[in-house]
Amino acid sequence: MGFHIIVCIKSIIANGLYDRVVCSSDSRELNPYDRPALEVALRIKKELSGTITALSMGPEPCSFALNEAMAMGVDRGVLLCDPALAGADTLATSNALAAAIKKLAPFDLVIFGIRAADSDTGQVGPQTAVLLDLPMVTGVHSVEPKDDGLIVERSADGFLECFEVFFPAGLAVHSSANRPRDVGLLGIELAFEERQVKHWNLADLDISADRIGEGGSATQVLALSRVENAGKCEFLSGSAVEQVEALIDRLSASGVI
Amino acid sequence: MDTFLSEKHRTIRRSVRTFCQREVQPIAKEIDQEATFPWEVVEKMGKLGYFGIQVPQTLGGAGLDTVGYIIVIEEISRACAGLGLCVTVHNSVAVYPLLAFGSDEQIQKWVPPLAKGEKIGAFCLTEPNVGSDAAGIESSAIRTDKHYFVNANKVFVTNGGIADVCLVFTRTEANAGRKGLSVIIVERGTPGFVVGDLEDLCGVRSNPVSSIRLYDCRVPLDNLLGKEGMGLRIGLEALDTGRIGIAAQAVGIAHAAFEEAVRYSRQRYQFGVSISKHQAIGMMVADMATKVDAARLMVYRSAVLRDQGKSFSQASAMAKLFASETSSEVTDLAVQIHGGYGYSKSYPVERYYRDARVTRIYEGTSEIHRLVIAKGVLGD
Repeated sequence: MGFHIIVCIKSIIANGLYDRVVCSSDSRELNPYDRPALEVALRIKKELSGTITALSMGPEPCSFALNEAMAMGVDRGVLLCDPALAGADTLATSNALAAAIKKLAPFDLVIFGIRAADSDTGQVGPQTAVLLDLPMVTGVHSVEPKDDGLIVERSADGFLECFEVFFPAGLAVHSSANRPRDVGLLGIELAFEERQVKHWNLADLDISADRIGEGGSATQVLALSRVENAGKCEFLSGSAVEQVEALIDRLSASGVI
Repeated sequence: MDTFLSEKHRTIRRSVRTFCQREVQPIAKEIDQEATFPWEVVEKMGKLGYFGIQVPQTLGGAGLDTVGYIIVIEEISRACAGLGLCVTVHNSVAVYPLLAFGSDEQIQKWVPPLAKGEKIGAFCLTEPNVGSDAAGIESSAIRTDKHYFVNANKVFVTNGGIADVCLVFTRTEANAGRKGLSVIIVERGTPGFVVGDLEDLCGVRSNPVSSIRLYDCRVPLDNLLGKEGMGLRIGLEALDTGRIGIAAQAVGIAHAAFEEAVRYSRQRYQFGVSISKHQAIGMMVADMATKVDAARLMVYRSAVLRDQGKSFSQASAMAKLFASETSSEVTDLAVQIHGGYGYSKSYPVERYYRDARVTRIYEGTSEIHRLVIAKGVLGD
């Protein structure tokens, strides 16, 4: 099969969580944080040859995100699609993805975006890597292939960390890693003409029902509400110099500067 | 509301929209005011296949169907009508006639670089004394053993300021009226090929519209497109397809104006409520929504008929007529809804208003289209 990269992507809700959203492909979009991850995979593929599989989990309209990934140059797309998978928290999602990734083996690299723009947890990547017993570096902004592994860099708290990882490995790619390529018309045409999204249901995965979906979730969302920010205007008093000093104090106390 | 379209077509729309939001919208106002052509963005568009939308993949194009094509044009025009114009004229009336009428050698020579956007195409028909009356062309091409000597004065050439490959409509046979016209391909850089000053236009200002004058240009005989005497036929067939693109451009402009008007109406408060709650505004918005949708569906229908290999001249004439007149009406209402702010360059609707106006004029005036449609219904 040659070098094989699996990129896990998510189709997220585009219109906000409070509208009555009918789950259709118009209300969802490819998680923007997954685009730099796909771009990393495409660049590695160009350097090392091989193939890329995009993997996602969700109802049928989520397959369009896989089509978009294929339009960017990914070779195949797999959608885990089964009512039993619904209602999953990040742990149940990771369980399902890990089972699918095992089925897609052999692989050399599993790549995730840093987080999903709708749920914002950033947990699925690291959890899946642990379930697969893969070394993982998160928040990666630079990736250099070398021999049987990668040299990767990440920033943390003002420090630059450099790691060497050997295949098979996992990465979570930071949004600043690259400027993802735009989707071209030829890519879209080829993606829909030549490449079909494969659909896998629970029967295709070697995993028990109590580890996926709502039943396999360790956490549960009890409530979701919008934070209202009542804008207010405060006038600072005193001379210009006093106002400036007061302003600096306020801004640094609130962490803005 | 285009949920009836295939997932592929909706992916095309989303991809072009995303690109335009990122690359075109931020500069649209500036390139209109300064009347500059955004080369960097155009280069990126070339790499994404926007200049070879329906060109076969074997020739370096994307190979989309006509429905995909009009979606691309509409989305680009929604962000910048001048760029939408550049792309549709290049695709419909420069590249398409080459594919439809060109010899294998001509196709292999010119289509691949045009499809990748490495060269830009233009269609040179209009002259100072020749607009709707295309048969009255005065440009001439005298044939010798090995060359044509072409003399032409072409005006209002879309993409003229930057075009590399020009389809020039000339008279190869004097005193033969409509049957004496031919299309000769002339490349920029040919001695005697002069690009005139850019026109200072009311709208679509990012497009480098200019005159192109040929002074005794010596052009190989192999540059004749099709056969001598086929000029009018090539022109009419090119414009049949071009009309669909212009109609899509008009829909894009109208849709942009409509979206802005709706957005503004929700934010502007008068008499204690947002103006969107006033019935007068609601009526306007309803009319705009309906007309833009109707125009778009007419454009889709033309595209579907073309893709099915069926006759689409009548459908495309109606689509162009209706879409261009709709874009004028809708942009006018959008300015009205904005009130005084609609008249200011601080808001985009005055640009849409100016951009819309020309769609009723070029690639066949509304009056010519009415003649075409009437003839289609009533016969000769």
